[in-house]
Amino acid sequence: MARLVVLGGGVSGHTAATFAAKWLGSAHEVVVVTPNAKWNWIPSNIWVGVGQMSKEEVTFDLAPVYAKAGITYKQAKALSLNPEGNETSDKPFVTVEFTETGKAGTTENIEYDYIINATGPKLNFGATPGLGEGSNLGEFTVSVCTADHAVHAAEELEKCIQTMKKGERQKFLIGTGHGMCTCQGAAFEYIFNIEHELNKAGVRDMADIKWISNESFLGDFGVGGLHMKTMGYAVSSKIFAESLFTERGVDWIIGAHVNKVEKGKAHYELLDGSYGEEEFDFSMLIPPFAGVGLKAYAKDGSDITATVFAPNGFMKVDANYAAGAYENWKATDWPKTYQNPTYSNMFACGIAFAPPHPISKPMSSPNGTPINPTPPRTGMPSGIIGKAVAHSICDKILKGENAPLHEASMAHMGAACVASAGKGLFNGTAAAMTIYPVVPDFDKYPGTGRDTDYTFGEIGLAGHWIKHILHHLFIWKAKLKAGWTLIPE
Amino acid sequence: MVREIIKYPTPPSVQYATDVRVFNENIFSLIDDLKETIQANALKGLAAFQIGSYYNVVVIKQEDGSFLELINPRLLSTEGKITTVETTAYFPGLSAEVQRHDKISVIYQDRNAQQHSLKAEGDLSVLLQRKIDYTFGSSFLHKLSKEEKAKFEKKLEFGADVAISEVCPTRFKRDYLTKLSNILLTILGFILVASLFISNEQTLATLWDSQLTISYVALVTNVIYFFYAQYEGRGFTSCSSCQIGNIIGTVVISLTKLSLIMILSYFLVNPA
Repeated sequence: MARLVVLGGGVSGHTAATFAAKWLGSAHEVVVVTPNAKWNWIPSNIWVGVGQMSKEEVTFDLAPVYAKAGITYKQAKALSLNPEGNETSDKPFVTVEFTETGKAGTTENIEYDYIINATGPKLNFGATPGLGEGSNLGEFTVSVCTADHAVHAAEELEKCIQTMKKGERQKFLIGTGHGMCTCQGAAFEYIFNIEHELNKAGVRDMADIKWISNESFLGDFGVGGLHMKTMGYAVSSKIFAESLFTERGVDWIIGAHVNKVEKGKAHYELLDGSYGEEEFDFSMLIPPFAGVGLKAYAKDGSDITATVFAPNGFMKVDANYAAGAYENWKATDWPKTYQNPTYSNMFACGIAFAPPHPISKPMSSPNGTPINPTPPRTGMPSGIIGKAVAHSICDKILKGENAPLHEASMAHMGAACVASAGKGLFNGTAAAMTIYPVVPDFDKYPGTGRDTDYTFGEIGLAGHWIKHILHHLFIWKAKLKAGWTLIPE
Repeated sequence: MVREIIKYPTPPSVQYATDVRVFNENIFSLIDDLKETIQANALKGLAAFQIGSYYNVVVIKQEDGSFLELINPRLLSTEGKITTVETTAYFPGLSAEVQRHDKISVIYQDRNAQQHSLKAEGDLSVLLQRKIDYTFGSSFLHKLSKEEKAKFEKKLEFGADVAISEVCPTRFKRDYLTKLSNILLTILGFILVASLFISNEQTLATLWDSQLTISYVALVTNVIYFFYAQYEGRGFTSCSSCQIGNIIGTVVISLTKLSLIMILSYFLVNPA
């Protein structure tokens, strides 16, 4: 009987664990270690953040779902890996610390045959002074990264709406809280949902809404922008985004590294080396991501964290981490199997794997501050990668150690993104975008590196309906209800 | 080498606008061509896009006659708004009023891939904004107000779509049909409310008859919308398949409203 341990129960980890449990059956064991008691459909947090959904609508209890699937569930956070075992045993194990009430603080060593690291990111609020401490949100801004953060954000937004109703203007600043952030898409959705809600509340004319981000042009989204083909040539998403921002009366600051946040004020450095500050009454700034801080130890107890993990804390996989400068980047730098190069029974998926380099053009200010989006790993690629990794491990267990690994390179997969720009059955809008491949392949597609025949973008009501349907569809899938395997990632 | 400047109605570029990654002889030769083309045509500047190259390269002729080479330029920060009358080599002899930023900050790379920044205002600011737009696949047509764009399009022999096709637009001609349908529904609703204050059966019968006629017009408007919208949508290849969803959604919403009003009217307005 083999044991697969999955660290993390987010989109990628949950997909990997549930498919592995289905494919392996009861002959083998799947263990999920996640510090959270609830599963959260993170894309819908932006609707919680504007008071249009409750926390309960975007979360559900994991324990009954895992019980139904025959998965052993441990509500705990992983602390360290011993891929070679320790001095008394050759069996690899992971050390976890329980977070559930009653067992909180106690630790356990869980032995494994295979392990998937799908821990997701640490929300590194502490990287920007004033944005927070460590992974905890500070007091000056709000966040929509977790369901609880989003509930808090909705409460603060409501206070601002009430202030505006009393005749006092309010300034909104939404975007990224550091020069090395990803997830511009979530901030993009949030700013337009706020704009939509302020309109509904009749106070739009009392609000100054501003976007701040580390993108070097509006519409970069961490993927170097999209190019939509028309009339035989391609127009950048910059033009699309600028039209939308102008149409909705939203101003923008780009190429910005927010370096300090105070009460009602954000300080930033721009790509041209200049400094500025922006006042706000309400601000949602996405924090940068880092690895969750897992340690790794060799059999003799020596620290091998640097061997297993990249400096940013994400796990090394079969990527080319020595690609060097921008002009040398290739699609083949990106991982295909997500297997750790040192320990073949360790895999990483979702946000937890270390990407070889950004997708957007790397840039820095004359002061040497790097200011460019880091690569996004949204729900669709995370789910696909999680499923591919689970498939590889199940094949190894069921067909033998030499079974070929399944591949899911982001340079070979497309992604569809539906970005909400306002919730409402009849007046909602969302931008539906497709991109292929996610990581540009400059050899295969000279120019933009992408196949523009498969790159589309449109904004409208149908996009909102799709977004809403996807919300229910993915929660249905995650709860493993009838037909869940038929719903794509 | 002096290159041919692509002019209306030829679509402005062969392929895609993209950042320069490798700084080599090809790029230096492209920059030299841009300079010679600027000199030969007495222009103030050119984007590589305008001579059929997909690289993000802009060359500006400065007042002292020297050239400013900008590779991978980005418009970083802006200040103030001004409206200027602009011309472009792509539309010879034509001009339009465009709203631009008065002061801008731009970052760019030189031939050695070194990053620089510059601040510009007035004419230089406008020129740079126009050229940087080209590097992202757009011309000043995208920046025109609705009225100015309509005025400008009348000057174009083959229309604007030949020259600069839209990114999937947020406004379509079909929206006029939606507007008409909404006006008709509003009238129907108004008659419904008004009937609550009328007891004369003959007047009610007249109102019901007019409601029936208006509802038929609304129904036909929706049918026309459904087919015309799809015909119009075919012209925008950048629009996703969501477009058909939007069309169906709009028709379903409109017909639901129409049905509700007519069902209520059947009981409240119709005296029969």
